[in-house]
Amino acid sequence: MRPLSTVLGLLLAPALASAVTVGQPAPDFTLTGVDGKPAKLSDYKGKHVVLEWVNPGCPYVRKHYDSKNMQGLQKDAAGKEVVWLAVNSTNPTHSDYLKPADMGAWMSKSGGAPKATLMDPDGKVGKLYSAKTTPQMYIVDPKGQLVYNGAIDDKRSANPDDVKTSKNFVKLALAETLAGKAVSTAATTPYGCSVKY
Amino acid sequence: MKLLLALLFLFAQTSALALSASGKSDNVTATLLSDTEKVTPGKPFTVAVRLAMAPHWHTYWQNPGDSGLATTITWDLPPGFKAGPIQWPAPRRLPLGTPPNQLVNFGYEGEALLLTELMPPAEFGGNADIKAKVEWLECMDVCIPGAATLGLTLPQGAVQSTNATSAIQSARAALPQAWRGASYAMQDAATAQLALRPDEQTAQSLSAAKRIDFFPFEEGKIESNAPQKLERFDQGLTLTLARAKQPVGDYTKLHGLVVAANAQGQPVWSAEVSAPWQAQPAPPLGRLLSSHVQRDGTGVAVASPSSAPLGLLAALGLAFVGGLILNLMPCVFPVLSLKVLSFAQLGAGAQARAHGLVFAAGIVLSFLALAGVLVALRAGGHEIGWGFQLQSPAVIVGLAALFFLLALNLAGVFEFAFGVVNAGGETASLRSAFGNGVLAVVAASPCTAPFMGAALGYAITQSIGEALAVFAALGFGMALPYVLLAWFPGWAARLPRPGAWMVRFKQFLSFPLLATVVWLTWVLGVQVGVDGVAWLLLGLTALGVAAWAWGISQISVLKKSIWRGFSAIANGMALWMGFLAYATPESSVDKPLAASRPENALWQVYSASRVEELVAAGKPVFIDFTAAWCVSCQVNKKAVLGTRATEAAFAAKNVTLMRADWTKRDPEIARAINALGRSGVPVYVLYRPNQAPLLLPELLTSGIVQDALKTLP
Repeated sequence: MRPLSTVLGLLLAPALASAVTVGQPAPDFTLTGVDGKPAKLSDYKGKHVVLEWVNPGCPYVRKHYDSKNMQGLQKDAAGKEVVWLAVNSTNPTHSDYLKPADMGAWMSKSGGAPKATLMDPDGKVGKLYSAKTTPQMYIVDPKGQLVYNGAIDDKRSANPDDVKTSKNFVKLALAETLAGKAVSTAATTPYGCSVKY
Repeated sequence: MKLLLALLFLFAQTSALALSASGKSDNVTATLLSDTEKVTPGKPFTVAVRLAMAPHWHTYWQNPGDSGLATTITWDLPPGFKAGPIQWPAPRRLPLGTPPNQLVNFGYEGEALLLTELMPPAEFGGNADIKAKVEWLECMDVCIPGAATLGLTLPQGAVQSTNATSAIQSARAALPQAWRGASYAMQDAATAQLALRPDEQTAQSLSAAKRIDFFPFEEGKIESNAPQKLERFDQGLTLTLARAKQPVGDYTKLHGLVVAANAQGQPVWSAEVSAPWQAQPAPPLGRLLSSHVQRDGTGVAVASPSSAPLGLLAALGLAFVGGLILNLMPCVFPVLSLKVLSFAQLGAGAQARAHGLVFAAGIVLSFLALAGVLVALRAGGHEIGWGFQLQSPAVIVGLAALFFLLALNLAGVFEFAFGVVNAGGETASLRSAFGNGVLAVVAASPCTAPFMGAALGYAITQSIGEALAVFAALGFGMALPYVLLAWFPGWAARLPRPGAWMVRFKQFLSFPLLATVVWLTWVLGVQVGVDGVAWLLLGLTALGVAAWAWGISQISVLKKSIWRGFSAIANGMALWMGFLAYATPESSVDKPLAASRPENALWQVYSASRVEELVAAGKPVFIDFTAAWCVSCQVNKKAVLGTRATEAAFAAKNVTLMRADWTKRDPEIARAINALGRSGVPVYVLYRPNQAPLLLPELLTSGIVQDALKTLP
């Protein structure tokens, strides 16, 4: 019986693995932004896209916003024609949930500069990408392939002071993929709060 | 803080109170404890950070799972002191949300003691000031980082226990042990499987557990939130894990904790396992543990045959011996007597040898064909075992017709023109020898000989190649006496000389075959009821007419075609009635089978959940896995189980008696039989409180049953 299930497993594998694995196409999605405008991933084909899972109620997200780390990355990316999409998958029943207008206000107040801040209240896209923590970061290359999936950096703490001494995986991966190189550290374990599905 | 420490220190000097220093966040109180009041230079001691969490709040294990963060301790120690790593207690799964949106973290609720061993230098001056900066993440549905700096001042002196000593000792005793036993890990594209074969003591700890989970040390290898499918085998267990959708790093081994928990999810036992990944492609795990799946999740040890695991060689040996013994079974004997007769006829020589070999080939190939069907059906998800052929009323009807025809043939009503059992005549063809072999196997299927059960049980759970090998060994065992007979003319010479007695003996052999028909009719009666039996008997009558007419056509010179036509018509009627015999609506037997037959009131109808309940309540249970078509079952039932003496012995030990009737296909019973390492009936098992279940042999004597009952308290 086992060999049979192994064979089945192998047959099913591509379908299962394609969801969020580095080296596979990033699944397409459409979400509505806090400004009410829809954004579709495949519309940005030909450009690099960064997906950032965000929840202002999470201390780990605040670590990177209070230290201006995230905003710095966002601005840097914008300057290099990289599309930055921040996705909030918080469930409306959770105490961390912010209405689109409040989410937008928080983003602009903290000086964030994503191309769009997207609302995913039913968590569909979060689950499509198996996003587990906030923050969790993904990079999609111009061909639509996922080239990075994981943590923002290697200092797994909520302490903003650690940002300075950390190795920023997103910054490194983005630099490599923009230079046409393969991403050296393409998958890491994300850390932070759970996504509030 | 210093003042507090000094006060505590003074306090500790005059009393045996715990030396501790606490710090608090909103939901967590952290306390530093020591197992000694005084530190002896060069002598290690243990300190603990106790995290006491408010209800519903949790902190994290070294691998926090889907989210979260492991607690960290940064030590600030006097010069020369060294701190070991945190000795993490076994974590529990902490689900957030509900599937499919569920994330699962690994950590602690209530209270956790994180132990660290501190090593003082060979000499140091003054008191030992121990400081720990503890940082944690406390979460409920929201997360808050927490931190505390804790301190203890311990004077030099002989080791002296504190109030915390016993708490630290019991925390140490509860730490994960080293795994005792074997462990294997294998993976395919989507899943990873951990197979564990525990030693005896470990097996006991595991069998009592309500749930068993694997907690990986490494992140990014398996999906934390995927359910872990637990399957118990007689030799151990497997956990099927989901491989990380986004793996991080290489898969070199599966390293982490196996944690057995109680119904509340509280860890009760844990061990550290490091299993290297098996080479691809993964070998079937069943080979490592013998593949006897038990019901998922529950902790009751259903199956643990006391015998050692059966290897391929042992299975082949048992199958071979079983095949030999099969020749003596009542259902095979008449058919094989014919074969012996034909040897008597052939005498010695090349013809006899060729005959013997072809006959053997017929037997072996038939067994292989049966094995192939069995394996194919099982691969298709059918829960069946050896004897499955007889669970179908259509097969029973077919067999009854076949045996009836054979009986008529032997009685001389007609001759097989193509000579399936053409025992007489000097031109016994090789085709007939082959046909005889096939027939012998068909006749043998109701009789699971002793030794065959274990071998077949092993066979059907193995790879197809091994299963076929075991069945082939069975065939060789069955065929061996005839091959030997053909090969050694000296032996054949001892058989009576051919003569007129052979015709009479042949005629006489029709009666055992008719008895077999009666028995098959009874089996059909149990399966489909009395209407089906009536149709079968009518069909057999029509078949008799057809055979009779055919027989006339064989000897009459004139009007051959008329007799043949008559025979064909009768034959057609027989077919139609045979069809009605098994296709009769089952409405007459919608009661459970066991209940439909007058049973002794002592025996209850088998129910897996009832067995579990009784075993859990510490009561002994004896189960008779049986079927109407199983001859040895009927013999055991009448000769041993149904006797006054045996019934009294059961009653004396207060044993609950259950009968699992497998006359018709029943997945639940098939699973239970598989779990016991067998494939067909009879199976007799005695569940004993606080002991491994005892499997009895397939041929019972009252002595065997009495001895088994003596093992009960």
